[in-house]
Amino acid sequence: MVGIFDFTPAIVLLPFVSFLIALAVGDHLPKGGALAGITATAGSLALAIGTVLAVAGGRTYDATLYTWAEGLEAVNLTFGVLIDPLSALMLLIVTLVAFLVHVFSLGYMNDEDETGLPRYYAGLGLFTASMLGFVVADNLLMAFMFFELVGLCSYLLIGFHFREPGPPSAAKKAFLVTRFGDYFFLVGVVAVFGTFGTAAFVGSESFPALAEAALRGETSVNTFGFAPQTWFTIVGLLVLGGVIGKSAQYPLHTWLPDAMEGPTPVSALIHAATMVAAGVYLVARMYGFYAISPTALAIIAFVGGFTALFAATMGLVKREIKQVLAYSTISQYGYMMLALGGGGYVAATFHLMTHAFFKALLFLGAGSVIIAMHHNEDMWDMGGLRSKMPVTYYTFLSGSLALAGIFPFAGFWSKDEVLYETLLHGLDGDPILLAAYAMGLLAVFFTGLYTFRMVFLTFHGDPRSGTAEDPHGVRWNVKFPLVVLGVLAAVAGFVNMVPVKKVTGLKIDFLHKWLEHGYAGLTVEHYGELLHDFPHYGSAGLELSPLGPGAVSLGLALAGAVVAHRLYNVPEPVEHTDRLGEIKTVLYNNYYQDEYQVWIANGLTRSIARAANKFDGGVVDGVVNGVSSVSLFSGSRIRRIQTGVVSNYAVLLTLGLTALILAFGLAGGWFV
Amino acid sequence: MIIEALIAVTFLAALVVFVAPNAAAAKLAAALSVLPVVGSLWMWAAYDASGNALLGGEIAFETDVVWLTAGGLDLHWFVGVDGISLPLVVLTTVLTTLAIVSAWTPISNRESQFYGLVLLMEANLLGVFTALDFFAWFVFWEAVLVPMYFLIGVWGGPNRRYAAIKFFVYTNIASLVMFIGFIALVFGLGDSVTSLRLPEIAQALRAGELGGFAGLDAATLKTVAFVAVFIGFAVKVPVAPLHTWLPDAHVEAPTPVSVLLAGVLLKMGTYALLRFNFTMMPDVATALVVPIAGIAVISVIYGAMLALAQEDLKRIVAYSSVSSMGYVILGLVAYTTYGVGGATFQMIAHGLISGLMFMAVGVIYNTTHTRMVGDMSGIADRMPVTAGIFVAGAFGYMGLPLMAGFAGEFFIFKGSFASTVHSAMPLFTAAAMFGIVIVAGYLLFAMQRTLFGPFSFDDDYDVTTAPFHDVAPLAVLLLLTIVLGVAPDLFFGMIQEAVNPILTGGGL
Amino acid sequence: MVPPEYYLLLSAAVFCIGLFGILTRRNALLFLMSVELMLNAANINLVAFSYVWGNITGQTFGLFTMALAAAEVAVGIGIILVLYRSFDGVDVTDATTMRW
Repeated sequence: MVGIFDFTPAIVLLPFVSFLIALAVGDHLPKGGALAGITATAGSLALAIGTVLAVAGGRTYDATLYTWAEGLEAVNLTFGVLIDPLSALMLLIVTLVAFLVHVFSLGYMNDEDETGLPRYYAGLGLFTASMLGFVVADNLLMAFMFFELVGLCSYLLIGFHFREPGPPSAAKKAFLVTRFGDYFFLVGVVAVFGTFGTAAFVGSESFPALAEAALRGETSVNTFGFAPQTWFTIVGLLVLGGVIGKSAQYPLHTWLPDAMEGPTPVSALIHAATMVAAGVYLVARMYGFYAISPTALAIIAFVGGFTALFAATMGLVKREIKQVLAYSTISQYGYMMLALGGGGYVAATFHLMTHAFFKALLFLGAGSVIIAMHHNEDMWDMGGLRSKMPVTYYTFLSGSLALAGIFPFAGFWSKDEVLYETLLHGLDGDPILLAAYAMGLLAVFFTGLYTFRMVFLTFHGDPRSGTAEDPHGVRWNVKFPLVVLGVLAAVAGFVNMVPVKKVTGLKIDFLHKWLEHGYAGLTVEHYGELLHDFPHYGSAGLELSPLGPGAVSLGLALAGAVVAHRLYNVPEPVEHTDRLGEIKTVLYNNYYQDEYQVWIANGLTRSIARAANKFDGGVVDGVVNGVSSVSLFSGSRIRRIQTGVVSNYAVLLTLGLTALILAFGLAGGWFV
Repeated sequence: MIIEALIAVTFLAALVVFVAPNAAAAKLAAALSVLPVVGSLWMWAAYDASGNALLGGEIAFETDVVWLTAGGLDLHWFVGVDGISLPLVVLTTVLTTLAIVSAWTPISNRESQFYGLVLLMEANLLGVFTALDFFAWFVFWEAVLVPMYFLIGVWGGPNRRYAAIKFFVYTNIASLVMFIGFIALVFGLGDSVTSLRLPEIAQALRAGELGGFAGLDAATLKTVAFVAVFIGFAVKVPVAPLHTWLPDAHVEAPTPVSVLLAGVLLKMGTYALLRFNFTMMPDVATALVVPIAGIAVISVIYGAMLALAQEDLKRIVAYSSVSSMGYVILGLVAYTTYGVGGATFQMIAHGLISGLMFMAVGVIYNTTHTRMVGDMSGIADRMPVTAGIFVAGAFGYMGLPLMAGFAGEFFIFKGSFASTVHSAMPLFTAAAMFGIVIVAGYLLFAMQRTLFGPFSFDDDYDVTTAPFHDVAPLAVLLLLTIVLGVAPDLFFGMIQEAVNPILTGGGL
Repeated sequence: MVPPEYYLLLSAAVFCIGLFGILTRRNALLFLMSVELMLNAANINLVAFSYVWGNITGQTFGLFTMALAAAEVAVGIGIILVLYRSFDGVDVTDATTMRW
């Protein structure tokens, strides 16, 4: 019998086929291959919905589909598909966003008469396919491989406008910085193979299960001379390197703002559903491995909380609308990391989902604004767009409310749960989480502030430039994705209203229930057990009402919004951030993070490389050339014996003979 | 007899092309070079042996006849292939044909001699990868140098004589060191071997039948011989710090010759290391694991750092070959299925990808007449297909998954991380792996500056799309790289069968 | 019978005369003559030892050497003729153009 799961490979392959079509014959197709991409992602979306329905029916799927390398007396390296509630949910998010981005691209790329459309749609198709392959991966190696392909696609798409100087540089930076993270990831993959002999995510022979068993003393694995707990933490942190790179966490976040050089729909795809989401998704995917390591969890939480705050402060002073959104992305993924580190597996998944919707919405909305503004992204040239583009405005507002975490939009519920879980486990578990929580909480205020600063500067007040007074119109293909996402950003939070459940007792935490079934080792209960047993999260059984923390974070978000309203919702706003003085300069220059990283990559490494080159040319090759010079020199001296005068040769012969006879004579004792 | 036929046909093809008129030589050479491709692919399809040819495994397409009798040691004509050498034979034939096609544009004088020498070199390379008798092998090994010397010295760049002589003398001295080391071993084996057939010597050495020679006891002799043979082959690989002939040779050599030099000639070194050092003397190799893994790591990192400092595209690829070959050494010394098998696989993968990169640089050079990174910008604007393949090849070099380079590198990393030969192997592996970051750095920088950005080019040449016969070999290589990356088992299965016998016994 | 020492002395004397000629003369013709003297010194030895040991091989070799000497003279004279043409003389110390 053919079930829906037999079609899961097609979810990945359809966008891949659209990549091939766009690449091969895109020039001859109407819309430059867009229709193939839209059809393919629509098909993937339909299959993903079918998959989600099947998973909702309690079914899961794990199958090895292809043996990439068959080990002889060694492990096989395989590709497989793992469909459980988490990956099904992610499939739905990715295909939906990818589909909407494809539609939006019709308006953003085709209607704007861009060149190179087949290349663009080929990139989008491959990007979607790689991400979907990553999502369904059933082992760490396959995940890594598609993770890297995602990086390649980001390179190709960020550098889409390769004839300008900026995009190729940004693309290079994006790939290089994430590659630096992936280096650690790859060491981690190799270490997982070396330790467990398998990299499977699921089953009793999967590496998280083996690690748990090893810690419980039920089995033993090769830990390279370390204590198991220490070694698992090391391996986890190595893999985390890739996560930090791709999810743009401090200190590898620097590529992401530069990546705004790419076309806006690509930014939407990268930030909402694909590349950046990949990092957090990976941690969620192998959460069983992190949940057994208190140190790794604390580091994840701390990095996440710090990044959330750090990026939010930088978002306050940016002039370009996409830059603000870029920093908000970094900040929001910081929240997800905070949740994962704080033991809030469901909260992180929840925030991943809501963020995908509202951030895709905001980017597409920004794209709509950018079309209207004739590709001017400076918010100080905008203003008053509210009346001219109402659809964009209201959907953008919906996304902004969600981003800021205002009740009852999606972001409120997810962010609230993130902070609640962290606080709970900080009080009842690892106190270091409280520091991370404090940073996350403070970031809420800044989030409200920069979000509404962006909204007010863009849409409210008086137009501050000629283009803002008479913006370019947008068509249905821009409005349709905005409306879909705008609705989702408003209502997606209702799938998991934990505070309401706690207060009223209604069983409406659907996402919790969703993640409760599936494979035994991959359920939220199992993670709860692990968190209880190893890092001792919630071991004291502390009960904490969600209302207090929720009210605090909502209050802070509202405070941020109100401040933004007071400062920027005026007909002629001024740059209030100038009052920060030196601090603004630091913030505007991103705390000089780029400078030192560029210095390491360019200044320091290049100097070392040049020194090595000098050494190579001077010393290593110098020795080689020296040896040949010595031979040449001695040859040029010794050949002087060859005078060309026959008599001299005769003398030498005679003397040589005499010497030989004398030598034989001395040795033979003739003269004794 | 297929192997003899393969070698003979290639020799004959070389002769025919030598005497053919210059105008017809290019097409004729390409057509004739398809014959060995067909032959080697047939061998690959018909191959059903298993095991290592040196360690008593089945030898496919074997011929073994006594050739000369010389004082207690018979010299045999002994050829055959196993899972290690067959992929290299296929690589040699395929890459030669593609290199010949890629030479159509750049080579415009003495064509018949050029293509004749290329085919002559191919014949000798096939001999190197198939000969199983030391004497025959050594004759082929040395004979490869001669056509290469002329190919660089006659058709090379401005500094070609220096490069050609450096290449010839450097590698020849290395061969001498290797020869002395190996012959000392043969004398040390004394009466326990009756011929110079490599399987006989390998099995005798692994069985511990080595005696003393020239005042050295067996253990010392073995170590000294190992080091001598290792140095001899390390020059060919090349391993830092014995690599300095390589960039000079590459920069001066015409593109098709660079393709063969990087794609196949370097593999002679790693192939010989695997056959001689790591198969015959595993006990010494594992005793010397720290220095060997150390120079592997140094090759990787140092080669990559040098590539970072270069301005000439060819030099960048040349130094990155040093870096990639370091991975191979690391894999070999790991003594695990994935390590040694991955190293063998990486030879093929690197052959394809470095060939691809050199060809791509050559195609750009054909139109721009410069290879300097600073001289051009925005080439992708005028040569979109070439640039696209260049980007794909560069990502292949960086180890993009689902391309052959990643498979080779990952197998090596996986194998050497879990290696039990030394407790520090994970550290060596992690250190060598950092090469994947540096390689991304220099290739991305180079691409950003040459291919992308606003188009600008200072010279008068008309930068326009490359002809089809320039791009076609690139596309074929890219396709092969992706096919091997998606399905490494096309070669990896037979490689493992040949590699696994090395990993047990013989003092391990 | 004459003791072999006398032959040896004669041979050594002839050889030394030849050697002296080669070392001191610059004329190529004198060179050739001196070489002939040295060859004949060797011939004397061959014949003498053949006589002493009663073995005919030495005399055979003596004949060989004579034939060889004849050939050598032919070649030598040829070289000298070329030398004369190229350097306007037969002084061996002039012909140094082929050195290093």
